[in-house]
Amino acid sequence: MKLATQYTRASMLVTVIVLLIAGGIYYFAISYIADQQFDHDLTEELGEMTGFIQQHQRFPKPFEFDSYQAKFEPVKQYMPPRFVDTLMKGSEESYRAIIAIVKLKGLNYRMTIIASKESTENLLQLIFIITLILTAVLLIALFLTNRMLLKDLWQPFYTLLKRLNDFSFTGQGGKDQSHIRIDEFRELQTAIHTMEGKAAAEYEALKTFTENASHEMATPIAVITTKLDNLIQDETLTEVHLAQLQDIYNAGNKLSRLGQSLLLLVKIDHQLIKDTAPIQLDQLINEKIGQLAELIAEKSIIMATHLRPVNIVVSPYLIDILLNNLLGNAIRHNQYSGHIKINLNERQLVISNTGTNQALDSTKIFERFQKDPASEGAGLGLTIARNICHRYNWELAYAFESPFHKFTVNL
Amino acid sequence: MKLLVIEDEPVLLNNIHGYLAEDGNICETASNLATAREKIARHEYDCIILDIGLPDGSGLEVLRYIKEIGKDEGVLIISGRNSLDDKLSGLGLGADDYIVKPFHLAELKARIMAVYRRRAFNGTKLLQYENISINLDFTEVRAKGHLLVLTRKEYDMLLYFIANKGKVVSRNAIAEHLWRDEIDLAASFDFIYTHVKNLRKKLFDHTGKDYFKSVYGIGYKFS
Repeated sequence: MKLATQYTRASMLVTVIVLLIAGGIYYFAISYIADQQFDHDLTEELGEMTGFIQQHQRFPKPFEFDSYQAKFEPVKQYMPPRFVDTLMKGSEESYRAIIAIVKLKGLNYRMTIIASKESTENLLQLIFIITLILTAVLLIALFLTNRMLLKDLWQPFYTLLKRLNDFSFTGQGGKDQSHIRIDEFRELQTAIHTMEGKAAAEYEALKTFTENASHEMATPIAVITTKLDNLIQDETLTEVHLAQLQDIYNAGNKLSRLGQSLLLLVKIDHQLIKDTAPIQLDQLINEKIGQLAELIAEKSIIMATHLRPVNIVVSPYLIDILLNNLLGNAIRHNQYSGHIKINLNERQLVISNTGTNQALDSTKIFERFQKDPASEGAGLGLTIARNICHRYNWELAYAFESPFHKFTVNL
Repeated sequence: MKLLVIEDEPVLLNNIHGYLAEDGNICETASNLATAREKIARHEYDCIILDIGLPDGSGLEVLRYIKEIGKDEGVLIISGRNSLDDKLSGLGLGADDYIVKPFHLAELKARIMAVYRRRAFNGTKLLQYENISINLDFTEVRAKGHLLVLTRKEYDMLLYFIANKGKVVSRNAIAEHLWRDEIDLAASFDFIYTHVKNLRKKLFDHTGKDYFKSVYGIGYKFS
């Protein structure tokens, strides 16, 4: 739930509760005051009525006390005067009444004087309606001001949030808000700037380090490789020696590939590979399949391709690596007489291959140095493929649709 | 061939020199810009092997110098940086080819031979080795006059072996030459075995000579 919604909801709930309590207090207070007034009037009336009866020794006629109605019933015992709220038969209105005993000619009569509470009821109704309207108006006003005020107040927050979301080590940070009135948000923006700066600097340093390390590796590996190239010319070497040399060769080879892969990653991240050329992707894929024909034939892999003509403008070097890595994997991790399906249209390139009958962990396979234990590579192939795709704003996705491992490039 | 190797890493220089100096080639060395300039000014070379990173300046200076004094030597650049900029500026300044560290000496030799051939032959590009003659323009191979039908990989391999004749060439070097790093080593070794076997047989059928010698567990020697 959004903070603004939460806040609005709470403040509105409090307002409603306060207004309801206030309404209740109003109601009771006014009822009480009105009853007091009625009782006072009725007592006065009772006095007058009693006086009249004592003076005239008869009950008054209804017209003699115009606004009050009185009723007389003979009773046996004496009761002190009391006040009651009552309803009249056939009428919705409520009344206030005083019941008292009067003596007339030695007999006890119960006298009931009633007065209409209509005016008070009307007043209460009015108060109720006013309270209701007030509540509604207040709620609407609160809702609208909260909404507008909070939206306005929180706007820098959303700008900053977007900036954080857009943050990438390689690209530029998101847009900056020119002026923020709220101190807290201004501080937040400053903090974000500092953080971005630090992160970018750290990342830059790491990349430079990787680049330098890869470069520095090149010469020593060249020394090892060329030493071996010379060493194997020696005809006195025994088979045991040669087998050991072969291991060193292979290790050197791995190191060399690793260095090149790391360097390539740095270069893709740095966007250092800028050359572009129009490429006919379907043709390139066919060429690639031709280049890998030996491998495909060796495993008796059945290829099925549906390639629509697709033209793109990209770095020939990078697209070559991308296809190499994806196709190479499809062959390498395939089983004997397995299948490879390649579908290409304007929107996507899908390379599916059979292999292990288990889905790969799609969260991990694109990470660096994640690899099948059986694979002899360094585990950078898919990372490179993904980064090449990112470079061109393509999306590389993996899915397992038994028995096919499916890699999709959304162009 | 007369070669000049300009490289500042002494061990690497020594290795390159050791590999190239045999086989009747003259191989001179320079480990900095100044010596390189001096030698280029004084002698004629068939190919100059040039490292870009030198202690007293960029190897690209050598390329400029060659142009400046009006020479026309074949130049093969060695670079520790697999960077396109270096490559483009190097080739733009008149270098013939570009090789990235680390490399196999067999690969270096093959590249040097290619540079040499491009420059040495005028007109028909015919490469002769004993009974084998190769028309480089038409990628045609004849053994004792018989036309051989070779696959692309067999043809590449034959050229590679001829460039490195008399040398033991490791399977790793052949694999890198034929497939770069497109396939796994283990798989490529199997293919190399098959290709060598086929090539060997085709040559043997027409010449009666076995040009290949297997060196146990490591590679092959062509002679």
